Amino acid sequence: MAGTESRGRAERRSAGELESEVLATLWATERPLTPAEIQTEIAGGLAYNTVHTILKRLYDKGLVLRDAAGRRGAYRPAKNAAELTAAAMHEALDRGPDPIAALQQFVSGLSPDEERALRDLLGGGRP
Amino acid sequence: MRFDVYSPLLLSLLLPAVSPLIGRRVAPALAARVLTCAAALTAAATTWSLVLLTTALVGEAPPVVAQARQDGRQPVDPVPEAIGIAACLALVVVACRVHRALRAERATRRALRRLAEGQPADTELIVAASDVPRAFAIPGRPGRILVTSAMLGALRPAERRILLAHERAHLAHRHGLLVTAAALAAAANPLLVPVRRTVAFLVERWADEQAAAAVGDRAATARTLARAALTAGRARTACALNFTDRAVTRRIAALQTAPPPRLWSAAAAVLALGALAALSAADATDDLIGLLTGLLS
Repeated sequence: MAGTESRGRAERRSAGELESEVLATLWATERPLTPAEIQTEIAGGLAYNTVHTILKRLYDKGLVLRDAAGRRGAYRPAKNAAELTAAAMHEALDRGPDPIAALQQFVSGLSPDEERALRDLLGGGRP
Repeated sequence: MRFDVYSPLLLSLLLPAVSPLIGRRVAPALAARVLTCAAALTAAATTWSLVLLTTALVGEAPPVVAQARQDGRQPVDPVPEAIGIAACLALVVVACRVHRALRAERATRRALRRLAEGQPADTELIVAASDVPRAFAIPGRPGRILVTSAMLGALRPAERRILLAHERAHLAHRHGLLVTAAALAAAANPLLVPVRRTVAFLVERWADEQAAAAVGDRAATARTLARAALTAGRARTACALNFTDRAVTRRIAALQTAPPPRLWSAAAAVLALGALAALSAADATDDLIGLLTGLLS
């Protein structure tokens, strides 16, 4: 039941959303990934062809690179633009009153006892 | 006039008093909308009341009083002079605060626009190669999601999807506009600052609920928040002054219980507070116009 559900939801994800997920997956892993590895990594089960199409689109935009040095068919994220973005982000953060702190951030600060409670929620282990 | 001109001020004490309860008990999407709406109405009404009280000083102006005496009319004294002057000063403070809030808003917009510049046109996710774990939505056309590589690396695959769904909900429901409206209302009327905080919390709750619905799993959404908060917390230990309002803990707790219902009656009551403030201000305007035309004719 849960499996059918997640497949159903996966189909409803738009091309743009899938692109984000594939890109996020490539950034999250330390090493280049093949389409098959991305397919298993992404939650909700995607067709191999879909992953391939998305990778091609990301490649055309210059957001991912083919891993020339490593395995054939593996992709890695393009770092240059992301480093420029990081520099711009840090510049905005460092400039006095944090303009981005004023925004909806995914998470805010924690106190020590809150931190303990959250660790317990995640099963006591390393976060 | 006597009474109506002061009632928006009284109502703006009531709204922050009820807002935490509304925030806890009512579905976040509904609660955020009605609280912002009521706060905007109340702030407009209190500001207008200050304008009225200041204008009433005209009735005290020596030429007006002299004219009225000459005509054999007894000058009415709708507002004590001290209150009129205090209102005038308060109005100046309000103008400064709103101006400052608008400037901060513009600075944020500019900073965000710069981050989205030069990105491929039809791409939703912008990754920043940074060790600081952060994630936020960049409103605009198209709206974008910025996540740092540190945040992506800390989350598991299903959790990354939940994070993206959360930020997507901020963009789809234009949470930026709600937060800006609440911020301006709080700038115009400092009594509404707690309402602004509640609205900021509620848009996060709203996006959490949307993300949970998108993946069909509230427990996984709670775990995502916990992991993201722990990752961000570890990176920030150097900053000891970083305040914590237990917001993440409260969001996680909310995801571990049933989603709050859409309590229309409570929502209507909140809107009624805002409407009452606006109506009082309108009534007071009528009174003042009547008074001044009586004095000046």
